[in-house]
Amino acid sequence: MVLNNISANIEKRLRKWSIQGKFSLFIIMLYIIVAVFAPYISIYPHDISSAPPLIPPGGKHFMGTDELGYDLWSQIAYGARISLLIGSLTSILSVIIGSIIGSLSGYLGGWIDKLIMRLVDIMISIPELPLIILLATFLGPSLINIVIVLVIFSWTRTARIVRAQVMVLKNMNYVTSARTYGASAGYLLRVHFLKELFPVLAINAVRLVSKAIIAEASLSFLGLGDPTSKSWGLILNHALGFSGIYHTDFWKWWVVFPWLAISLLVISLAFITRDIEKLCDPNL
Amino acid sequence: MNSVNKSLLKIENLSVQYRHDSEVVQAVSNATFDLNRNEDLGIIGESGCGKSSLVMSILKLLKNATVNGKIIFKGEDILALSESDLNRIRWKDISIAFQNSVEVLNPVLTIEAQICESIKKHYNLSTNELKKKVRYLYEIVGLDNIWLDSYPHQLSGGMLQRILLAMALACNPKILILDEPTTSLDALSKNDLVEMLKKLKQRFGFTIILISHDLDIINALTTKLVVMYNGRIIESGITKEIIDNPCHTYTRGFLNSSPQLYKYKDLWGITSDLGLTLPEKGCSFYYRCPQRAEICLTSVPYLQEVLPNRLIACHKGGIETVLRAENVKKHYMLKNKTIVKALNGVDIILKSGEVVALVGESGSGKSTLAHILAGTIKGDEGKVYFFNKETKNNWATKMIGGMQIVFQDPISATNHRMTVVDVVKEPLDIIKYKDQDYRKERVIEVLTMVHMPVSESFLNRYCYSLSGGQRQRLAIAKALITKPRLLIADEITSMLDPSTQANFLREVKKIQNESGFTLLYITHDLHLARKISDRVYIMQSGKIIEGGPVFKIFDNPKYPYTQKLMKTLELNLSGV
Amino acid sequence: MIIVNRFLEYLLTFIIIISLNFFLPRALPGDPLIQLTADTYDGVLKMTEEQRIYFRDYYNLNLPMHEQYFHYLRNLLRLDLGKSIIYNMPVAEIILKKLHWTSFLVLSSIFITTIFGSILGAISAYFRNRPLDRVIYTKMIVLSEIPAFILGLIFLFVFAARLKLFPLYGAYSYYHDHLNTFQHFKDIIHHAVLPVISLSMARIGSIYFLARNSVVSVMGKKYITTATAKGLTKQRIIVKHALRNAMLPVVTRVFLSIGALIGGTILVENVFAYPGLGMLMQEAVSTRDYPLIQGIFLIVTLLTLSANLIADLVYKKLDPRFS
Repeated sequence: MVLNNISANIEKRLRKWSIQGKFSLFIIMLYIIVAVFAPYISIYPHDISSAPPLIPPGGKHFMGTDELGYDLWSQIAYGARISLLIGSLTSILSVIIGSIIGSLSGYLGGWIDKLIMRLVDIMISIPELPLIILLATFLGPSLINIVIVLVIFSWTRTARIVRAQVMVLKNMNYVTSARTYGASAGYLLRVHFLKELFPVLAINAVRLVSKAIIAEASLSFLGLGDPTSKSWGLILNHALGFSGIYHTDFWKWWVVFPWLAISLLVISLAFITRDIEKLCDPNL
Repeated sequence: MNSVNKSLLKIENLSVQYRHDSEVVQAVSNATFDLNRNEDLGIIGESGCGKSSLVMSILKLLKNATVNGKIIFKGEDILALSESDLNRIRWKDISIAFQNSVEVLNPVLTIEAQICESIKKHYNLSTNELKKKVRYLYEIVGLDNIWLDSYPHQLSGGMLQRILLAMALACNPKILILDEPTTSLDALSKNDLVEMLKKLKQRFGFTIILISHDLDIINALTTKLVVMYNGRIIESGITKEIIDNPCHTYTRGFLNSSPQLYKYKDLWGITSDLGLTLPEKGCSFYYRCPQRAEICLTSVPYLQEVLPNRLIACHKGGIETVLRAENVKKHYMLKNKTIVKALNGVDIILKSGEVVALVGESGSGKSTLAHILAGTIKGDEGKVYFFNKETKNNWATKMIGGMQIVFQDPISATNHRMTVVDVVKEPLDIIKYKDQDYRKERVIEVLTMVHMPVSESFLNRYCYSLSGGQRQRLAIAKALITKPRLLIADEITSMLDPSTQANFLREVKKIQNESGFTLLYITHDLHLARKISDRVYIMQSGKIIEGGPVFKIFDNPKYPYTQKLMKTLELNLSGV
Repeated sequence: MIIVNRFLEYLLTFIIIISLNFFLPRALPGDPLIQLTADTYDGVLKMTEEQRIYFRDYYNLNLPMHEQYFHYLRNLLRLDLGKSIIYNMPVAEIILKKLHWTSFLVLSSIFITTIFGSILGAISAYFRNRPLDRVIYTKMIVLSEIPAFILGLIFLFVFAARLKLFPLYGAYSYYHDHLNTFQHFKDIIHHAVLPVISLSMARIGSIYFLARNSVVSVMGKKYITTATAKGLTKQRIIVKHALRNAMLPVVTRVFLSIGALIGGTILVENVFAYPGLGMLMQEAVSTRDYPLIQGIFLIVTLLTLSANLIADLVYKKLDPRFS
């Protein structure tokens, strides 16, 4: 019964989305499927040479191969795993941490709030990429480290948003009257705050996924990513490092496909974000 | 000076429509009025009635709006002018001091700069002359020169209002429009503003168009008044006359609820229309009007002259006269052959929907008058007209929607041997109106109105088992069951204790406010009279010596007797 | 005063950064030298003895922690950022050599983004919700999400490699010595076009949205009605009243976004092999030249913080409500 309600709600909301939004949702689903079923939908392995190097797309290697003869499609497919994993992990962790810190800050106020906000201000004013590079260099190029580093930067935005909302909600009359009845903070959170926070957090979460995916691609592109993973950025890194890349046609698949993979994913996420935003604030 | 020269601005059939997405909102319909030189005009009405839209369209300041009609200024139609021609008139001939808020000024420019730019646009002055002029403007609105360099956010509400005024006068306009100039001002500043405007008017000779809720400044500053409701002008005339004698039910309700006019009366607003959709082709005041009729639903009333200098938009020509008594005389002969003139030529007019108090000492003849009006006693001379028909043979009390009287003594007003339901039902029984079921339903309705129980057991109770207060309520209920247009209440609360009296009167007033009948409240208690009534008649020795709106009679009594009477109000029994 | 307050805040931030820079290599568990130089899957030291001695000296690892910190701070104040391993030169010197190329890209990009972003935003606001606005708006959504280096890649391959319209790498041609000043100037521009366009296109979205929203918001303000009522011409109203207010948030945002812009530039330089700090960073990272990495990081952060501080100052100057 509950499931029926939820699905009915979802359907109702989906109907309001734009065409681009629905299309983007479809694309995201595709990506997820590819990522999850990567081993099953790739004929060839992604880390063993299975064909002559740098053959153009065609036949069973429908995306061609790279300089080591690895099938490009399976690299892309496995790369999807990396991107989606890092993206969602970073986003979820950031949102959770950010929400907790933001709510504490907004709800408790006083010196805790001031301290946390100072910290957030300081973190926001530091240029991200250089610091991420620095941290990644010292911590070492593993996936976990990348997630950790990204989360360290991403929670601040969530915290700010949540804090602002909580501060507004705290002063609402229905919250004040609930407190006079002796309502606990947990109750207030559950019954009153979460419903208000959810839409903003949803937008924030999707944005963070996008940011994290781009950040991971950037790091891998610079050579700071996990060398064993087949991240799209890493593919690009290898491609650009290949000496003949500019004077040959190899880029037409070796560069284009990972490029397409990143761009399509990011644009789809962007359209979804816009649609959610429009739902929450009809003024746009 | 003939009227053609005096006319400054002519508004003809002005209509303003806003388009928002697919919705069209009619903000102003067919507004027509003239503004003459030195006849300052006030515009009153509730928010949303279109006053701001009307005034903004004079300078074509509305965005997303279609404006139809004509605005004639200096022989030209403003609405037909090109943008550059319009820009010549703006501010120089007609200027506007907007409703006070810091948003009205550009936050990043100094005040001086903003005042200067309007002068620069219309005049060619040197920098020095400009500076002098701005300082001069500051001086006349009473602001210190140190504020010249400041930014809008640094000024208080009162100062901002003066700035807006100074800015509006910068180019010496012929017409100054003031949009709610006193909303953010306290009483002292309001006074200052009024005095300042009067002086400035004298010095510069501009004519004011004033939009305001505040009846004090409307009274103080305007000669003519226009009342708007839902985009239409429903009453227009001379300010003092309208305030003394409003002819449209809306205007009356508006003025009645104003604590500035009625200082002691409890606050009673006009009943809301509960969000019912307004009739498309009818009068938009329909659902709130106490004297609405069929025709009001089906056709829009247009402005007509019902009195000299007074235009009203109402199918009934304004507030109807419910009861009119002319030269009523009654005398009694005592045993010793002396003649007591109980009533010595009384004229009285009762209008629809108002609460009128008839005040006098005992023996002044109030009750006699009440009984003659109600037809329970016959007068010796004089005529009484109910809705312009002479009352004979009690036809007015024998009907639904007629006149009823409630007496002072609740015990004798109700037959103690009868049950509650029978007592209240009696009038309908006598008239033989509809059937028993309907009558019983009506009983329940009116008992609910007067907050009495309606259970079967209560309905079947005998009146002797009820208290005085309860029986008085029954008396009212009985009077109300015929949906009277006039209810005469003869000292109905004198026998009740203050608490019961307070509750009782509040209920009666509430019913009156909602149903819209006229209440003639006869009393010797001046405090009470001042508390609940709109108009008052003072009676002494069989004559009505003074009558008019409460704020006039109580605050400014003309006759010595009235003055003496009013003095008693000031008696402080605990002190003096 | 508020300005002093903000300045102190930035100072505090910078001190934290410096300290972070100091502690990071030292905070890792185990022998810092092993950590710093081992590859993750090998675990085999690939350092020469010379390098090890160098590092020990450089990081003063023999001394107690607080003395190390002291040395570190003292060196910073002397603008000594250490010596680069690959170049065998003081880090500060190398950075200074390459700084101007990065600055050139950053400043050009700021210029283009601000001008075009604001104009497009204002046009969009004027034609709000009409077809022109919708078209620009949708394109901008797409554009604003794509990172600069992604755009750069495609530009590189399509316009440079394939169509050969632009050079493939570098800031100037290798034969620049043979060119006169004007030709040299043209050559530099020619090399800079693609990187600057990539950077600008990635950033123009945010300026566009801000400008559009700002103009729309300002056009609805009451003081615009007041200005119209005064009989002022449309031009004057737009310039003196509307734009003057609408540009405030745009200007501040421009300064505030320099931090992110620098990040993008680092990546874009790597795509186009543009010899600025970005490429330098990449080299340093791939050879684990820690002094260089840290040096670039410090300089870049300092520049960003300065830009933020300037943003605050400029805003206070422009908006009298906050002084």
